[in-house]
Amino acid sequence: MEAAASAVPEPRRTKARLVYPGLVIPFVLLIACFAAWGTAANLTDVVVGVFRSIFDMSNTQSALVQVAYYGAYFTLAIPAAMINRRFGYKVGVLSGLGLAALGGLLFVPAGEVLEYGAFLAALFVLAAGMSILETSANPFVIAMGPEESATQRLNLAQAFNPVGANIGVLLGAVLILPELTSEASKTIMSPAELQQSQEDDLALVLGPYLGIAAVLILIWLLIAFRKISTPRERSQESEGEARSGALRRLWRNRHYRYGVAAQFFNVGAQVCAWTFTILYARDIVGVPAEDSGWYLQASLILFLVARFVMTWLLGIFRPTGLLFLMASLGVGFCLVAMFSLNMVGLIAVVCISLSLSLMFPTIYGVALRGLGEDTKFGAAGLVMAILGGALMPLVQGKVMDEVGAALAFVVPGIGLAFVACYALFDLRTRRGGGGELAAEGAH
Amino acid sequence: MTRGRVLPALVALGGGVALFLGVAACGGGEDEITLGLITKEEENPFFVTMREVAEDVAGDNDVKLLTAAGKSDVDNASQVAALADMTREGAKGIMIVPARSRAIVPAIERTRAAGVIVVALDTPTQPESAVEALYATNNRRAGNLIGGYAKAKAEEEAIEPRIAMLDLAPGISVGELRHDGFLTGFGIQDGDPEIVGQAYAEGDEDKARAAMARLLDEDPGINIVYTINEPTAFGAIDALEDAGRDEDEVIIVSIDGSCDAIKDGVRPGKIDATSQQYPENMAREGLEAVAGAVRGGPSPSGFLDTGVELITSDPVEGVESEDAAFGVRNCWGD
Repeated sequence: MEAAASAVPEPRRTKARLVYPGLVIPFVLLIACFAAWGTAANLTDVVVGVFRSIFDMSNTQSALVQVAYYGAYFTLAIPAAMINRRFGYKVGVLSGLGLAALGGLLFVPAGEVLEYGAFLAALFVLAAGMSILETSANPFVIAMGPEESATQRLNLAQAFNPVGANIGVLLGAVLILPELTSEASKTIMSPAELQQSQEDDLALVLGPYLGIAAVLILIWLLIAFRKISTPRERSQESEGEARSGALRRLWRNRHYRYGVAAQFFNVGAQVCAWTFTILYARDIVGVPAEDSGWYLQASLILFLVARFVMTWLLGIFRPTGLLFLMASLGVGFCLVAMFSLNMVGLIAVVCISLSLSLMFPTIYGVALRGLGEDTKFGAAGLVMAILGGALMPLVQGKVMDEVGAALAFVVPGIGLAFVACYALFDLRTRRGGGGELAAEGAH
Repeated sequence: MTRGRVLPALVALGGGVALFLGVAACGGGEDEITLGLITKEEENPFFVTMREVAEDVAGDNDVKLLTAAGKSDVDNASQVAALADMTREGAKGIMIVPARSRAIVPAIERTRAAGVIVVALDTPTQPESAVEALYATNNRRAGNLIGGYAKAKAEEEAIEPRIAMLDLAPGISVGELRHDGFLTGFGIQDGDPEIVGQAYAEGDEDKARAAMARLLDEDPGINIVYTINEPTAFGAIDALEDAGRDEDEVIIVSIDGSCDAIKDGVRPGKIDATSQQYPENMAREGLEAVAGAVRGGPSPSGFLDTGVELITSDPVEGVESEDAAFGVRNCWGD
């Protein structure tokens, strides 16, 4: 997952201190947190296929991994904000780290009982912690230095999120996928041998999550026993209470309303594409398990590189024009993936990440533009659109069980088509004052 | 403070992550032994898969693996030479896919007399006792699976079976076992009225096409086609198309499970079902058993079934099968 601030255009400013004196180490520790939730989130993209293999279950069932993960993110967003408001960011960060580490450790008993549900519960707890961590760390980073360098500071911290994401996939590609028991060998195993292979494979999953838990505990200790006081820890939430009528105003704002829906479909399409890249490589092209993780790795690297390119292009072209172009391109990639059942299709799946690269921050910015005092309340709605990441993979898994891995890419395709429609809507309408909108020619 | 201090701290953090990532791999150390693998020929994807898996497993088991192959499926001389060369190079165990089941036996006997353990993969020697053990597909079961599928499918579609059988060649055990397995699975015997035609296609696509064309001339109403392997199935499909028959009206079943056949035959439904065999299991099980025996473990003996699964895109109720995605994941070849 990612925060939107990374894409907010940065105004020209004079050089300012990046971090207040005495806060370098805490800042670095928070950067480690940004990497940690990237690692955990993208490790789940690998784990979906791994669980399918270990527990011999359907794609729909295996997609429950993403429901647990992103469902927890959605569920904990508001409680996390309340923790921050009441106890401050440090407590929020420690709560998130502690809960996430607990989730990682819960993989141990889950491995003992060998029940899929136990792993889902552990993932839910892990993701719940990550949700609190992310909600706390973003404003905490902002509070660690002068306001003039806040965007730069947040951008620097955010840059480590995709680094962590790549580490997550790398862990899966190097430590899990090549070591899994092959399905062919299972065809001649006795029940006892099958159970042993299941235990061995689950132990592979256990390793990276325990590693993440260990890192989180280390960061927790380093933060807990360090005095961290920002000059004025200003809670964004406390600056302005949600004003009465904000929800009604936001609902009436079509750019915002459709923006939330577009963000839902964008996050859903992103999680779908990354969740099912490995399965596409395996099921459609027949890429060996040990090589399949590298296609997901390529997707993330492409996403990362394209993000920088898009940031540059956004300074040249109208954002929603570029958004429309990339979303349409994404739909095209999905169509190729659906009907070209070979390496070309797999490359198209990887290339979907190219089109996804600018979407989250662009939709975020477009939907919030001109909201004025309703911006902070509106931002929460956009973040909660992450629910798309929980629900759409489930739909794709179901479609995959019915018609196969290739045609199931119609699901992210529809999501990206919606994003294209949103971009088109923005291009063809103008905004009125005070965040109100007026369709061209409507009045 | 500042950017100047943030960078070193980040580098230190990166070092920590690298350390975390580096926790992986430490291997145990057994004394290296030398084993050999001799296949029929170099290019056939079935044997390429077998060799690649054997090389991987050898690496995991501290085994130096010598490999050799004949120049064709019937090149006995090259295999005889390879047995002698590997023995001279210190191989303590050899896995061989015999190109000629009977002709290779004297060379195997000389090799075993030199104290080398020899097992056969995929194809039995004649007699089978010429080697310590055989690691191969249960060909009767492979035929049985597609026979059972074809029967259930015919019942589901309420068609009166008119079966064409495209066999391998007379007197070859693999072909006979698959043929007999199909009949058992379908619940019929040679000579029953359901079988309206039979021909030998030698596993060759062009010969299968010609043979199927002849059988269709004799009985245009053929609605079930048994094929000894997938090239034969593709030949039969071509003949059906030439005759203007709708593929959907004919149940075509086969045996092998190559990637080409799963992707281009089973997945689109041209081949209704195939029994997939696993050369990777032959290589892995054979190598691990021979390495274990050389290191003082139990000596391999008898027949080890290396597995076979029914793959179809059109499952029939009551018949256990795997889907085409499973077939793609576990197929051999590209």
